Amino acid sequence: MWSRERPSRPCFSTPPFDPRFPNQNQTRNCYQNFLDYHRCVKNMDRRGRNPEACEYYQRVFRALCPKSWVQRWTDQLEEGTFAGKI
Amino acid sequence: YHMVNPSPWPLTGALSALLITSGLMMWFHSNSIFLLVLGLITNILTMFQWWRDIIREGTFQGHHTPIVQKGLRYGMVLFIVSEVLFFTGFFWAFYHSSLVPTTELGGYWPPAGIKPLNPLEVPLLNTAVLLASGVSVTWAHHSILEKDRINAIQALIVTISLGLYFTLLQIMEYYESPFTIADSVYGSTFFMATGFH
Repeated sequence: MWSRERPSRPCFSTPPFDPRFPNQNQTRNCYQNFLDYHRCVKNMDRRGRNPEACEYYQRVFRALCPKSWVQRWTDQLEEGTFAGKI
Repeated sequence: YHMVNPSPWPLTGALSALLITSGLMMWFHSNSIFLLVLGLITNILTMFQWWRDIIREGTFQGHHTPIVQKGLRYGMVLFIVSEVLFFTGFFWAFYHSSLVPTTELGGYWPPAGIKPLNPLEVPLLNTAVLLASGVSVTWAHHSILEKDRINAIQALIVTISLGLYFTLLQIMEYYESPFTIADSVYGSTFFMATGFH
């Protein structure tokens, strides 16, 4: 009936369900992806490979984490005071 | 029942507690041990005189009849129950903090930067010392029941010596510890639980 063409839109997606973090409190989900992104980048750089593969983790934590947390942790990483193991 | 004669020792005990707590604050923040020393002296004097009076009332004056003894036992039981609840709080705090470590700690336990003590070194020795003192105090208990004064005194000397040894070991552990009470929730839970112990 309707032959209107759908205009192509950018694809908005959201992080998929992660069974490691099934409950309402998603703090750990955010934190884990933040850690995984930085560990991925560190390892890719160490092996001289392209860190593009790490982009998934970055998209997830950017979607899940409050910006203030990301800012705080990034600042800590720059200062060398980040508590997590990267 | 035993109506105790008016006694000043509860008041002096309470005052000594005030002097000790405020004395600790003065020591921590104002580098003065005067109040603390005064508090400790008044505390020891209170304990000595109050328990001396209890011994007089119970032995020479015969006030500790079976009913009174029952009341004293209840008192001890209630105190022990309160101690159990007291330590329950500290254990709750420890497990709450350690089983799900927050991101501020790095998400793992022991937290970032903490070098924990090896529990199988001095702490294990301390455990053995305390268990041994439990044995010797049981010896003292049975000696008292059998009216064996000499053995009772010997057993109590052993018990108290072991307690002293434990205390000296703990003092050394605290002095040599690589972390302090201020080192994240790890230090807080560690020193609150072991300190009150």
